Amino acid sequence: MEQFLKDCAQSVIEGDGERSKELASEALDRKLPLLDVIENGFADGIREVGRLWEEGTMFLPELVMGAESMKAAMDVLEPALKGSGVNQGVAGRIVIGTIEGDIHDIGKTLVATLLAANGFEVTDLGADVPVTRFVDEASEREAGCVAVSALLTTTMVGQKKVVEEIKKRSLTGKLKVMIGGAPCSDEWASQIGADGYAGDAVAAVALARKLSES
Amino acid sequence: MGNNLMDAVGRRVILFDGGMGSMLISRGLREGDVPESWNFSRGDDLIEIHRAYLESGAEVIQANTFGANRIKLSSSRQGSGIDVGEANERAVGLARRALEEHGEPDRFLAGDIGPTGMFFEPVGKLEAKDARDAFREQASALERAGVDLFLIETMYDLREAVEALGAVRDVSDKPVVVELTFEKKPRGYYTMFGDTPRKGAEVLLENGADMIGANCTVSSADMIGLAVEFRGFTEAPLIFQPNAGRPEMEGGSAVYRQTPEEFVADMAGIVNAGADAVGGCCGTTPEFISELHGYLAGDR
Repeated sequence: MEQFLKDCAQSVIEGDGERSKELASEALDRKLPLLDVIENGFADGIREVGRLWEEGTMFLPELVMGAESMKAAMDVLEPALKGSGVNQGVAGRIVIGTIEGDIHDIGKTLVATLLAANGFEVTDLGADVPVTRFVDEASEREAGCVAVSALLTTTMVGQKKVVEEIKKRSLTGKLKVMIGGAPCSDEWASQIGADGYAGDAVAAVALARKLSES
Repeated sequence: MGNNLMDAVGRRVILFDGGMGSMLISRGLREGDVPESWNFSRGDDLIEIHRAYLESGAEVIQANTFGANRIKLSSSRQGSGIDVGEANERAVGLARRALEEHGEPDRFLAGDIGPTGMFFEPVGKLEAKDARDAFREQASALERAGVDLFLIETMYDLREAVEALGAVRDVSDKPVVVELTFEKKPRGYYTMFGDTPRKGAEVLLENGADMIGANCTVSSADMIGLAVEFRGFTEAPLIFQPNAGRPEMEGGSAVYRQTPEEFVADMAGIVNAGADAVGGCCGTTPEFISELHGYLAGDR
């Protein structure tokens, strides 16, 4: 089992989606404890990828490949988890998008991919998303958090508007707001009353975890 | 004739201009507006910005064409309605007018080429051929409009920079300056796609770049180390255009708190490291370029 979990992690680290898929199928065939396989196998891999990215050993392509391998494995495992009635323990529901007036997609997509790879149920609204749509979609899906990206100094004020919209609908505290994007900071998050700021995709996963537990 | 930037290289440190985006915003560019739309609607403002940079001592001004390629423009509603050829020609026309009105010799007009905003595999689905075609279309328009040189900048993927460089070389013999943009990681400087300065330099020089270097992303302080690293492995002409420190938020808009004096103190380190050309990127204004001009004039 120990070696099997290591192989799972390694397939994600190498960004070998085919191998991840094979290992996931093997886990099903051998009736291994799937939560263990995910948490101590594949997810271990994605955490290692995140670490290597932060230190500058891996870069955006490897990060994306790793996240996609993780997703490939999850695609195989998820139906079985649902079918077996095992509570997979969705880490939380998140609605994510880039704020209106801003078409920068990549950072947001990366965060969405990593969140999904880490067990969050993610709805990606894309870019140029109106303020009200964030809150509408989050309410409809009973999400616990909206993640709002802004890459421009001219559009980040939209993040503030999302916080205000949530307040207007008396959802403050129930619907958390996390923000990200190049011009943002912890100071900006606290200034506008957001629940947190993440400087990169790895930090975003940690922040989402923290918010979903609080 | 005779207006070749490369003739000046080695004789003096050449001064490029500073940021364009923040200048446009301070003049009212709104959320989501495509900067190139001003080539049509706000020509006088662009001439004034170019003039301000020329008066501050910039020898090279960059036309407002950073995002004027088909792929980038078609990614937004407003941009989709903008003709690539016309956007580039108008921008060059405006910059040329500012140059002529200024009247001093030995000033150069750069056609500015930024990234497509799309990504190569595995991050995105951008194909080399499509990038090459889009850049060639832009480069042709810039060449037709009569730029003195090309400035390919803020490239986060060496592969895309190579396509832009190849596209320019397909249509022009004029000087080409290529700037990659690097992040400072605990293990050193890398582009977002993991290219090192050394690999970037090798590949770009092999592909016919006349001057290479870096812009954007890192602050002037962090750019010093990058300049030292570049000069450690190449004799080629080098250029560096850092941001004015890091942006901080104040009342809902970005503020670059670095002063022109602080910026120039760092730029001195970059010049001493062996830069052949310097200028500014995000957050820098004519005041920064003027201060830098003063430093270079004293240094000459």
